[in-house]
Amino acid sequence: MSILEVNHIEKHFGSVQVLNDISFTLEKGQALSIIGASGSGKTTLLRCLNFLEKPDHGTIKVNDRVIFDADDPTTQIEREIRKKRLHFGLVFQNFNLFPQYTALQNVTLARELLAKEKVGESQESIQKLGIELLDRMGLADRANHYPHQLSGGQQQRVAIARALALQPDILCFDEPTSALDPELTGEVLRVIRSLAEQKTTMIIVTHEMAFARDVADQVIFMDGGLIVEQGDPKQVIDHPKEDRTKKFLARYSSEN
Amino acid sequence: MFWSVTMSLLEGLWTSIELFLLTLLFSLPLGLVVAFGSMSRWAPIRSLLKRCPKLTFLQRIASRCPRLADFRPVSSLTNVIVWIIRGTPLMLQLIIIFYGPGMWFDNNIWAFGNGRMVACVVAFVFNYACYFSVIYRGGIEGVPQGQREAGEVLGMTKSQIFFKITLLQVIKRIVPPMSNEIITLVKDTSLARIIAITELVKAGEAYMKSDGITWPLFYTMVYYLLFVGILTILFNRLEKKLDYFM
Ligand SMILES: Nc1ncnc2c1ncn2[C@@H]1O[C@H](COP(=O)(O)OP(=O)(O)OP(=O)(O)O)[C@@H](O)[C@H]1O
Ligand SMILES: [Mg+2]
Repeated sequence: MSILEVNHIEKHFGSVQVLNDISFTLEKGQALSIIGASGSGKTTLLRCLNFLEKPDHGTIKVNDRVIFDADDPTTQIEREIRKKRLHFGLVFQNFNLFPQYTALQNVTLARELLAKEKVGESQESIQKLGIELLDRMGLADRANHYPHQLSGGQQQRVAIARALALQPDILCFDEPTSALDPELTGEVLRVIRSLAEQKTTMIIVTHEMAFARDVADQVIFMDGGLIVEQGDPKQVIDHPKEDRTKKFLARYSSEN
Repeated sequence: MFWSVTMSLLEGLWTSIELFLLTLLFSLPLGLVVAFGSMSRWAPIRSLLKRCPKLTFLQRIASRCPRLADFRPVSSLTNVIVWIIRGTPLMLQLIIIFYGPGMWFDNNIWAFGNGRMVACVVAFVFNYACYFSVIYRGGIEGVPQGQREAGEVLGMTKSQIFFKITLLQVIKRIVPPMSNEIITLVKDTSLARIIAITELVKAGEAYMKSDGITWPLFYTMVYYLLFVGILTILFNRLEKKLDYFM
């Protein structure tokens, strides 16, 4: 049984079709990497999974349960969407940390709010979890810093801890290192790599081909809203079958 | 002489302060309403079409003339009102509100005990609500969309996002322009004399007319400077308090 099953997702913005018949599955504990040129729809796909956009067509299943079906309004009730989106976590390209909270508060805020709604965990155990997560990110000594006091790489690691704090089934990354200076990408990639080693289920949109090849269990190449090629990362990145994939990768390696 | 001038200027000052406080009391919340009005995305034709997609004549309008279908009446009307009020002198608005009803409808609705003051507060409240609305709007729209999305993705409700994430960021953004506007209001209270309210300037000027002395007029400056000085200190403190984040 797959943890995630995406079937025939389509998304239009006005008359422009941004996602076209996107289907794939993801197994628990695996990392899926999505690559593709700018404007190919990668971000939009992640936003659909996180209910930030509503697909016009298709279904999304988590653990064999349909959590979204474009043709079934009962799967789109606002109140339930809030709970359903907790299956997913999202790490944004530009972090989007909350500036008025410390690193630790950023990590614990959402969990505290959830605990307040129904009798849940104690404040102390949430704090403990937050510190533990920051420690895993190598940021134990930065817990009381505000985002503007942190480097980009540190901010992104706080954002990862924040997403992990809700223990999502599937953690999504949207180009987690694109907004960073080159010398800061390493620390973030290292963290993601260690998450992969701990069998965190992940979807990683990235332009770091070498990283995708090493870390992912599966790669999807998207172009013009379509999945052009999909499979084992070494296969897709080193020996692409499709012309469009070859072209994209050739341009990519010449640029770098 | 100095003593009696001081006392009468204090009375004028009190009138100015009253006008100042009453204006803030009503225009601060009203400004928020106006801001939400101007940001309203309600487009009746679009939303009706969404609910009943079968109305073919509406569909024809929407495809022929998308601008009409996307027309947002609340937002447009609010923006026109804000434009008029911000684009014309407060003095003129004050005159119209106070003398207008009596002249055009033969009904001086302000002809009661505190009528002048009430008319004045009404004019000031509308005027300042419009100025504040623009500041509020800038503050609200200035918070990056990503902040709300980050909250949504973390399973927060709309109100949690507003109170726990957006609000403080909006406040931080609006404090500097708000403090400017509020300091302007201190000085604008002197316009009340146009409809014969004895505020601070009129109180000082009275001595020029009756006794031929001008120093009370300059004396009023001290009051204004103290008033504005205190406000400046308060606002600076508030800004400092919000300095801990960016
Ligand atoms: N809210 C929107 N309204 C209209 N068009 C949009 C919107 N969001 C995205 N698009 C369009 O959809 C297409 C896909 O965008 P998307 O951001 O998903 O691409 P991407 O693969 O993430 O690109 P990049 O590598 O640059 O991040 C683009 O052509 C973009 O202009
Ligand atoms: Mg993108």
